[in-house]
Amino acid sequence: MFQVENLSKRYGEIHAVDGISFQVRAGEVYGLLGPNGAGKTTTLSMLSGVLKPDNGRILFDDIDLHAEPVKVKQQLGVVPQETALYEDLSARENLKFWGGLYGLRGSELDQAINKTLDRVGLTARAKDAVKKYSGGMKRRLNLALGLIHEPRLVLLDEPTVGIDPQARVNILDVVRDVAKSGTTVLYTTHYLEEAESLCDRIAIMDHGRILAEGSLDELKKQAGEEETVTIEGNFEAELVRAKIEAVSSVRLLSAEQGRAVISTGGSGEGAVKLLESLFGADLPMHGISIRPPSLNSLFLNLTGRELRD
Amino acid sequence: MRTLILMVRKDLIRKARAPLGLLVVLAFPIMFSAIISMAFGGGSTPQVYLLVENLDDNLLGKALISAMSSEQMGEYFDVEIVGEEGLSRIEDGDASALLQIPENFTESIVEGKPCSLSLVRNPAQGILPEIAEQVSLVLTDILDGGSKVLREPMDALAPYVLGDSLDMNAALVSNISVAFFDAFEGVGKYLNPPVITLSSMSVGAEDAEEEEEDEGGAGVFQIFLFVFPGISVYALFLVGDLAMRDILTESEAGTLRRQIQGPVSPGRVLVAKAAFSASVAFISLIMLTLIGWIAADAPIDLLGYLVLSLALILAVVGSAAAIYGAAGKLQRGAVIASIVYLFLAFSGGSFFSIDGMPGIIRLIAPISPFYWGTQGYKALLGQGASLADILPSVGVLSAIGIVLLILGGMLLNRNLVRGGGA
Repeated sequence: MFQVENLSKRYGEIHAVDGISFQVRAGEVYGLLGPNGAGKTTTLSMLSGVLKPDNGRILFDDIDLHAEPVKVKQQLGVVPQETALYEDLSARENLKFWGGLYGLRGSELDQAINKTLDRVGLTARAKDAVKKYSGGMKRRLNLALGLIHEPRLVLLDEPTVGIDPQARVNILDVVRDVAKSGTTVLYTTHYLEEAESLCDRIAIMDHGRILAEGSLDELKKQAGEEETVTIEGNFEAELVRAKIEAVSSVRLLSAEQGRAVISTGGSGEGAVKLLESLFGADLPMHGISIRPPSLNSLFLNLTGRELRD
Repeated sequence: MRTLILMVRKDLIRKARAPLGLLVVLAFPIMFSAIISMAFGGGSTPQVYLLVENLDDNLLGKALISAMSSEQMGEYFDVEIVGEEGLSRIEDGDASALLQIPENFTESIVEGKPCSLSLVRNPAQGILPEIAEQVSLVLTDILDGGSKVLREPMDALAPYVLGDSLDMNAALVSNISVAFFDAFEGVGKYLNPPVITLSSMSVGAEDAEEEEEDEGGAGVFQIFLFVFPGISVYALFLVGDLAMRDILTESEAGTLRRQIQGPVSPGRVLVAKAAFSASVAFISLIMLTLIGWIAADAPIDLLGYLVLSLALILAVVGSAAAIYGAAGKLQRGAVIASIVYLFLAFSGGSFFSIDGMPGIIRLIAPISPFYWGTQGYKALLGQGASLADILPSVGVLSAIGIVLLILGGMLLNRNLVRGGGA
């Protein structure tokens, strides 16, 4: 349905997006997961037709976005990361304008406005000027503007960044509802748990490239059976590095001042040896955690960095 | 077309919700022109309340009072004859000044003896006592000069003026008349101008008063109409600036980018914004026109007015598009627009008549669209010009507008495509 082929974008010497390809199937929620600066927003800007790629093609039902931008964009709904609203207008007036821009008229437009307001829970405040809204309400309206014309594909660019937990839950519920209604969703985020809970398939991005792609289970399999052990304390990275390298069948994934992540190698024996080594080394630790295989451990395996970075 | 209307309508609603900036800009030409008109074109004349204590119970004392109480002088002086209480009333601040006509004033003039009028001023009344003093000085000079020039016939007339004798025969009257004639003829070239001035002031009192009132009112409106077109042209450019800068406001708010993410091309967004700017300028022009219409008492060539206005709106939108296209950023554009418009307004004669400007300014004035707009409206409003008369203004404004609109459109489009509206 939505096909991206060898997409690239450079800013000077920096490859913001470096030859990525993926397909989004009709009706699925596809996640682009990566840290800040991974190239997610640049990718979305190209997918929404705002930014012209240096290379590559974007096809929607085999129609090239570059060749027929208006025809393709008519099928898309875009929800930018930052709220983009007319604050002097009410929520209803905002929806009326954006709905009209997508060709909705008369009663069809009115029905769409009412349905969308209800969907994002803003019916009661529909006539108030947007400038009187809370941050969470603005985010919900921002989402609503991308849904008013019931697009076949919604592009969501980190819609939950910088909002309170309650508003975040609310927005995630709306996204689930949208996906449930059969709309295809492309969702970018740097929150692991959002990607895990929302997405049918996930592409992990870093430095403009897709490092891994697949369903959550597929990605976890790629991560292997290895648990990761994270230790925190008052120690030098080099000290930990020396201790871990002495233990067979375990692998140091990352080490920094006061924090280290180690893979157990997928065997119980490795975990036991590791723990014995750590406690025997008399390292000044104040925390230790053992995690099962996850997207984070996969990202760590692939990049040597944690996704939180 | 429907999308275009939708976008313009949205912007007009937004402008209507926050109209303060626009109203301030529109109030500027009205206030400015009104202040200038009132300062230079009319208003009520300050009146001097003059007390006169006449100690001379003879002809010239009475004549002096009569002169100051005449209808012509009545516009400036409110004269009250007082007795000895005059001085205390001045001290109480009751009047602007007290003019004291001394005892034997007539006798002194007629006999050529020195005499003096005294004026006691009330400084609390600002400029009014000064007016009284200046007028009294003029009268004193006239009387002094007159008494010297007419010495000979005055001597002949003295017994009849100072005494009670009316025993004048035809020959005596004839002799005195001839003496007056000779005296006037001898100093005719010096005296004739003031004599002529006096005679011209002796027009029928009511007609003269009405005429002067009409001239005062018309003066205000004439100056208003002289100042108003130039300031209005300047204000219209500011209106266009306010409207066009909305494209950068939207860019910063992210709504411009969002429109381009929708099924709208950057070109259409720009056309919509230009149409919005033109709409706001047109609405503003209608408001300013109504004000000008009230002030103008002569018929105006409506076709000429409409065509000139459309050409001006084109220039307004084109200029704003070029400035914001070149600036790229909202703040930078606003600063550039302020400086450029102020320079073009000054050099184009929007604030001051171009005729009074230095030669270099007059030379560069025609490069300013403000010049052509101002000249066109002044000709239509003040000189009864027709469309044919203002065609140069229409042509230049249209050309400037089209060129700048194309240039500005290209620059803005480049910014939109490069930056994705952000």
